[in-house]
Order: sequence, then structure tokens, then C-alpha cells
Amino acid sequence: MIQAVNLCKSFGNLEVFKDLNININRGECVAVIGPSGTGKSVFFRTLAMLEKPDSGQVYINGTDITGKDVNINKVREKLGMVYQGFHLFSHLNVMDNITLAPLKVKKMNKSDAQKKAMELLTMVGLTDKSLSYPHQLSGGQQQRVAIARSLAMDPDIILFDEPTSALDPSMTGEVLAIIRKLARSGLTMMISTHEMSFAQDVASRVIYMDEKGIYEQGTADQIFKNPTREKTRMFIRKLKVFSYSINSRGFDMVEMNVQIELFCQKYNIEPKKVNYIQLVLEELILEVYGDSSINLQLKIDFTIEFSEERNEILISFVYDGRSFNPFEAAEESEHLGMVLIYGVSKNYGYSFENGLNTININI
Amino acid sequence: MNVNVVKSGDYSIISVEGRVDTTNAGEFEKAVMEVVNSGINMIIFNCSGLNYISSSGLRVFLIVQKRMMANKGQLKLCSLQPGITEIFDISGFSSIFSIFPDQDSAEKAG
Repeated sequence: MIQAVNLCKSFGNLEVFKDLNININRGECVAVIGPSGTGKSVFFRTLAMLEKPDSGQVYINGTDITGKDVNINKVREKLGMVYQGFHLFSHLNVMDNITLAPLKVKKMNKSDAQKKAMELLTMVGLTDKSLSYPHQLSGGQQQRVAIARSLAMDPDIILFDEPTSALDPSMTGEVLAIIRKLARSGLTMMISTHEMSFAQDVASRVIYMDEKGIYEQGTADQIFKNPTREKTRMFIRKLKVFSYSINSRGFDMVEMNVQIELFCQKYNIEPKKVNYIQLVLEELILEVYGDSSINLQLKIDFTIEFSEERNEILISFVYDGRSFNPFEAAEESEHLGMVLIYGVSKNYGYSFENGLNTININI
Repeated sequence: MNVNVVKSGDYSIISVEGRVDTTNAGEFEKAVMEVVNSGINMIIFNCSGLNYISSSGLRVFLIVQKRMMANKGQLKLCSLQPGITEIFDISGFSSIFSIFPDQDSAEKAG
């Protein structure tokens, strides 16, 4: 249906994406997610040849549309695009906005074009607005008209570029409902969105864009429930991360605690949990440095991941040196510090791999 | 961390404020042991201002408790914040110490 091969795009020195490859099959609904500025819109615009790629090809139904001799207007008949800013013609009423392209480009006769427009307006629930002008409509209604206008050309695929980003939250639902209906009808579509629950619900495939390309992709379940790569995980779970390194026993714990408090204040982590975090870290550091057989210069790196979505905290505590599991040591003799860690943790785990001890603790 | 000592009736009240952790547990121990070593054997720790304690801080309480028991003295704790009470519960220290909701009830208890 639509395929991108080694697609590259830069603006001056800014490389937006590099060697991007994707193949969208007929009937697929592909959600493209990722932080702002990772090139989702540019990618869509490049697929529609609204931006010229620096290199690489885009194929629609097997035809390379990046070729010099391609009639791009003909190609765009098969590729609809819905923008975040609606892009309706303000001097035309709804009916004329929808029928303009079928009349001018497809050379449909007026009554057929208007009949089809009314069918589409019925589908988007706006039959009574056919003679209204864009400024007389709400944002949500304008976007529904933009969707109807795009469908009027019977495209093979529609690209929705953040179709609800410019809308008041109260109007988001009406637009998403239309897109959901289209996805269920089997229309091939790609949608870039920040509406995660919507993407999870409608998409047959989810693509996470980052690091100048497709960072991870999979089914909605794979990406939303079991993302395998770090940045996807951080994005999906709305993770806020604090990292800190300790290089010797003589490190400044007061400064470390100040940094932890600043991080926690920034994300409104409740004071009780701040104390838990500091307690777990202090006790782990004491356990690790307290083990006399461990090199006193050993390096400790820890991260605190705060999931806003789940209101959960994960501490990952990594140190080098020989294998030393403080949980096992605590079983052999009573360690007050470990008793406190057990008490404030939801769960904990230890592993040793490639010379690194890793402790994960959920709070 | 701040430690203040005042007399109230038969008791010396040691008020602890702030954090007691591994960075200042030694300092805390020194300040408290000065009181203990001065021969005072009726002590109440007023912990209303204590907002963080780790195992290093708990150990100081334990050292003082042992010393007071050896001296046949009395050691009480009062006014623990909920977070500190929780740490005492987790560590099992709640059953080792005499803990009172406020200073008044600690002083009145026998």
C-alpha cells in the first residue's frame, strides 16, 4: 500500500530522520507516537510529498512517488491528509469545501459531488452545517469537515497529523469518534497522536518515533503494555527519571539528598515517598560500602524512575565489583537497614550480570 | 539536625529536629551521650521535629536505651511524626521503647 525506503530528511544541519523504513498494508491503522520534535509531522508531510525527502523513496501501491516524472497531484488524490490546524478554505462554506477537489481534480459532476458530500457529512454528523462557513463552526466541527473533505477524494490512505492537538479537550472526543469509526471500517490510515488511550484502542500497529527514526514498533499491546526499549518505556509510562553516580565512599550524601528532594518536589512526589526513596538509597549505600570485601572506590549508579501515570517509583541501584547480594547477606545475620528496605518496598529484586550488581526496588 | 536539652520536672527533655541519618548520627550520638554521661537518668526524647531517621539514627536510640537500662534509668520517646512511627514499627523498635503521643503524657507516666 504505502512504503518508505531509507527515507532521509534534514533541514539545514538538523537531521529529522535518517534511513526510515516502513511498510503500511491495506486496512492497517498505524498510530505514530513520540515526544514533540521527533519528526512525526515531517515524516507525514514527507510521505505526502509536501516535503521533499533528501534521499530515499516513497512507494504508493508500488509506484515510486519521489520520481521526477511523477504527477504529484494525481498521487495526492490517493493520499488524504488531515492536519492539526484544519486548513479549511475560510471563504467557502462546508459543502463547497468538501466538493472543491472532487469537482476540480476528479472532474465529478456537481450533483454527484454534493450527494457524496452529504453522505460524508452524515457520517461525521454535520448534515445541518452544509451551508455554514468555517468561522461559524467549533474547532471539533471544523476538523470533522476536514475529515469529510479528505474522504471525498476516496483516498487509499489518510494521514492524520495530530488531528486533535489544536482542539479544546471537550471537542477531542467527537473527532476521535469519527476516526475510530473510520478505522473500524477498514480504511487504511496513519495517525500521529498524543492521545495514548486512543492509539492503544484503535491502532493495529503502534510506532514510537525517537532518535531520528522508528525507535520501536509493535502491536498496541506490545508497545503500551510491554515496551522493550528504554525511551519507549519512559514515554509510555510518563516516566520522570533522576540519575546519580557515586564514585567513592567519601561522596557527599547531603548533596545527593538535596538533589533527590529537588527532583521529587518538581514532580510533586509526596513527602512520605521522598523519605522512603532516601531511606532505601541510604541503606543500600551503607550495605554495599559496609561490605568490607568490596572495593571502597567502587562505583554506584542509581536512577529513580517516577511514573506519573501509575504513581509508582522504581529505584535501580547498580554497582560494580564482585557479586554481592545484600538481601542474601541480610538473611544470614540481622541487618537493620535491610529490615527497613523490606518494610518500605513493594517489591525488590537482585541480579548480577557482566560484572554489575543490579538491585531494583519498587516503592 | 538540631538537638536541644531542657529540664522539665524530673526529666531532661532532648528535642530532636530535622534528619538523623548516616551523615550526622555520630554527632547526634555525641550530643545525646553528653547528657547521659552527665549522670541524668530520666530522659524523654521529644521527636516532634524529627522528620527522617535511618538505621544509623535508630542505632543511636538503641545505644542510649542500653545505657539507660544499665544505669537503671528511664528513657521515653514522645511526639513521633507518623512517618517516624512507621519506621519504628517496621524496625520493631516500637516494642523496645516506651513511646508516648505527647510530652505531657510521657512525663506523667510512671
